Amino acid sequence: MDSKSREEFKTNYTEYTLDMFSKSTGKDEAEIVQFNKWRRNVINAHKYSFEVLHLEAQKPSVSIRRVTGEKYKLLNFASYNYLGYSYHPDVIAAAKQALDIYGLGATGSPILNGTFDLHTKLEHAIIDFFGQDGYGASIFSSGYGTNLGVVSSYIHKGDYIVLDRSAHASLMDGAILSQGNILFFRHNDPEHLDHVLKRIKDEKPRILVCTEGVYSADGDYSKLKAITEVTKKHDAKILVDEAHSFLLAGAHGRGVAEDEGVLSDVDMIVLTFSKSFGGVGGCLYAKQELVNYVNYYARSRIFSCALDPAVAGGLIKVLELASSSDGYEKRKRIIQNANYLRSKLQGNVNIGTSTSWVIPVIYGDERLTVPLSDYLQKHGLDISLMTFPAVPKNRSRIRAFVTSEHKQEQLDQAADILLLAAKEFGFHL
Amino acid sequence: MSLQNKTDDFLVWQFDFALTTFFEIETHLIQPLLPPQLHPIEAVAGVSLINLTAFNFPAGALGSLPEFQELIFSAIVTPDLSRGVPKFAMYVLSIGSSCQEHLDHSFDYYKLPVYERLLHGIIRKDKLAVEYGDSLGKILTMHNCANQVIYKKDEKRYFQAFTSKNNQIYIADVYIQASLYEHQEIGNVGMLYNHPFFKNLGFDEADPVSYLQMIGEPGAIGQQLYYRPEIF
Repeated sequence: MDSKSREEFKTNYTEYTLDMFSKSTGKDEAEIVQFNKWRRNVINAHKYSFEVLHLEAQKPSVSIRRVTGEKYKLLNFASYNYLGYSYHPDVIAAAKQALDIYGLGATGSPILNGTFDLHTKLEHAIIDFFGQDGYGASIFSSGYGTNLGVVSSYIHKGDYIVLDRSAHASLMDGAILSQGNILFFRHNDPEHLDHVLKRIKDEKPRILVCTEGVYSADGDYSKLKAITEVTKKHDAKILVDEAHSFLLAGAHGRGVAEDEGVLSDVDMIVLTFSKSFGGVGGCLYAKQELVNYVNYYARSRIFSCALDPAVAGGLIKVLELASSSDGYEKRKRIIQNANYLRSKLQGNVNIGTSTSWVIPVIYGDERLTVPLSDYLQKHGLDISLMTFPAVPKNRSRIRAFVTSEHKQEQLDQAADILLLAAKEFGFHL
Repeated sequence: MSLQNKTDDFLVWQFDFALTTFFEIETHLIQPLLPPQLHPIEAVAGVSLINLTAFNFPAGALGSLPEFQELIFSAIVTPDLSRGVPKFAMYVLSIGSSCQEHLDHSFDYYKLPVYERLLHGIIRKDKLAVEYGDSLGKILTMHNCANQVIYKKDEKRYFQAFTSKNNQIYIADVYIQASLYEHQEIGNVGMLYNHPFFKNLGFDEADPVSYLQMIGEPGAIGQQLYYRPEIF
């Protein structure tokens, strides 16, 4: 076989998934060379729709600029700004006020000099939002750092951490850092969790089960009640990451734990401020004694600077709004919007098991990812794509994040673009 | 052995059926079977992958050899990207065959770790299923678990195969061109039995967890271009 033929096997950029560049054996930096070669090939083919620069706030319609310079005005279905709080005028005003009083950064670890009274106010606002006695909140400067710190401070060598197979990378990384024994149960499958826990029951170690409220890949709700029951049956603890469900699910927006009626049974709830809050950071909500411990032993917290005061000021305002009729109306609207978009797509494309504001459109073949992403952007849609190995082979998907702020006309336009793409790329049903 | 398709540095192997299943295995079990320079690729933390591939080679597809069946057991390892970006790289742990001449060739030419007893392989093309065993007992049963199989014609794949012989590591480029289907559906894909073919790797669970399957369309002739191994 000549070198040209060999290249045919190797160089088509649509054949690659990002995991293929993650590591190389040998002392040279071949993974860096190959990744950059792939990136250059996609750019040279005018298909590079990644790493775009957003030129304004994450509103339902946004201006972006590609790394190659082209500008587009797009419908925004890629942002986690579910309730539009990142650009709410009251939130911005609160953030500005905090900025004036406290300055730009906290300039210190929360365990040393970085905690302001504002951070404590935020903690109390979160505790009040849940409305339970004896609980506390520990604020982190990132959602990733929250899971990393909580898991690795609670689980030690010899303990067990049992993760949903679709659990977020931050939970997995926390598990690795903890040096505990890591086990997985099938996605959202309480029966398989029971099977996995039975295997370790007799050793009587500490066990932490980790799951999520709403799963970001499929947009399905966790079977949290059943998962919690199985966990308790085995005398284990449970952590629920409500990143995609807090302020959204449940009658009061307290998440899937509220929706499933297990708020008092769940041992640790992790919140992310970068999604429905529209800010940045994260939080552990748990019994006060556990929170006290995590404050001192979560290394991602004690060795990071405390949350920016302006963000903390804005987040307090978000909680105030989310507790009021504003939050109630937005929760109602996001559900209506998601149902509406689902109704436009259902039967025309495969939207999997979504029941939430995360709506996947499964296009299957991962080789479509680069051209499809480019096509959607050029046709007016800012939207996220997920491919193997983040999702199974031949289950690659577009993910639409619906917000309470989308108008019906925008939902219609998005559906039209998605259905047009489905016909063009052959995944229309 | 006469090899009609031999060229300077690679051999063309024509096959009319192939079934590959990747199974999950705990990293601490597979790492000791690898040379220190190679590391398993983890699907998730602590979970590595092994690969079982069954081929059916029709009579005359490779030199004068009769129809025979092959079974390859390998660990999925970090590739050498300086040679190109493969779908995956494998470290071959065991190769078995129903044909002695094929085994001899695999050992001499490809430096492959041959399993010396002749296997008997039963290929059920209509069911996309295989069974392998030898005089010591069953090795595996393996079958497709996807509800719907949609072959894609003229698929091209590049792989890397690591082997070791006499403390020396070798690497070979492998290209496959065939009508293929890949999937990652969850389901029963068969059984792996505790057997010397698996290098004493015990399979505790009767129902091993599969990760991914690739199927070569039965009856459609696919080609495997296997380069001569080079010192790594």
